[in-house]
Amino acid sequence: MSNEDATPENRLRKELPEEVPATAPEADEVREPEPGLTGRQRLVKGLWPPRASRAQLIVALLLFGLGFGLAVQVASNSDSDSALRGARQEDLVRILDELDDRTQRLEDEKQGLEKQRDELENSSDQAEEARKQTVEKERQLGILAGTVAAQGPGITITIDDTKGTVEADMLLDAIQELRAAGAEAIQVNDVRVVAGTYLTDSDNGVSVDGNKINAPYRFQVIGNPKDLEPALNIPGGVVQTLEKEQAIVTVERSDKIVVDALRAAQRPDYARSSSR
Amino acid sequence: MIAVLGLVVGVVAGLLVRPEVPAVVEPYLPIAVVAALDAVFGGLRAMLDGIFDDKVFVVSFLSNVVVAALIVFLGDKLGVGAQLSTGVVVVLGIRIFSNAAAIRRHVFRA
Repeated sequence: MSNEDATPENRLRKELPEEVPATAPEADEVREPEPGLTGRQRLVKGLWPPRASRAQLIVALLLFGLGFGLAVQVASNSDSDSALRGARQEDLVRILDELDDRTQRLEDEKQGLEKQRDELENSSDQAEEARKQTVEKERQLGILAGTVAAQGPGITITIDDTKGTVEADMLLDAIQELRAAGAEAIQVNDVRVVAGTYLTDSDNGVSVDGNKINAPYRFQVIGNPKDLEPALNIPGGVVQTLEKEQAIVTVERSDKIVVDALRAAQRPDYARSSSR
Repeated sequence: MIAVLGLVVGVVAGLLVRPEVPAVVEPYLPIAVVAALDAVFGGLRAMLDGIFDDKVFVVSFLSNVVVAALIVFLGDKLGVGAQLSTGVVVVLGIRIFSNAAAIRRHVFRA
């Protein structure tokens, strides 16, 4: 460090600890250092002005090779399709094993998911089936409870009470007889007859569940006509009893009886379903 | 300056030409590049120390490349290529770091 270099950087440099040639670098490169220059000055001097010395040209050639190799390597490494090209055999074997493992895991997962899907499909099928059965049952129960209209084969009974002698108990007998013979849905005039139906006498007629009806009483009954008609006509049965009271009874079979009088569904106040 | 230009031209040429690397050389190219980088850092440090010599640089550059490739080649033949190339990269990396530290002390004085 000569004294004429009194620039600030040089003064700074003097305060630094002595530079030791750290860990004997490139022992064969050691040469007599050019005196009186800092590293920075040497760098600047080497960079500018450009000199086409032999050393510069050779180093440029080598650095060209380095840059070329670097760029080629980087380019071939960043090509996604040739990522495996430079890999070693054992690396390739390892990658292959990993892929096999992964395939196996994914295959297992796929099987599990497919099983789950099948189960879900089955259970939804079962739920659909249960729903259908419930709807069907509701329909059947609705016919019994009188909340839905019904149609089917059956008979029509017309009781014309010319003398006003027909009373509630005779109609009740008729209904009981029909039920015993397997009647599934009964309608008297415009009143649906259900399990809780009651009949009372009233002026000039009969009340069914509180609805007053007048003669002629017209029963529409769904059931097997071959069972219903004989049940009414048995000796000493409903028809004979009514005719004894001067009423005119006609019984007609029909393939299509429509029972369309409805009754509102009633929710019981106390009774609850005990199932579940 | 011309040396720096050479490096730049080399990178540009490599990017533009994009040659197919022969399969034989392929495993050794990355190691050779790292070894050359080590030599370049060594040379730069020597220059900053004022002890640069072109002949020594050329020899160390080429021998670095050749020895590194040779070690990897041997490792491949012995069946420990992956480990050995890792070792070479580690050693060269340490040398590059120590050289870079020396260069940094010259340039930034810190």
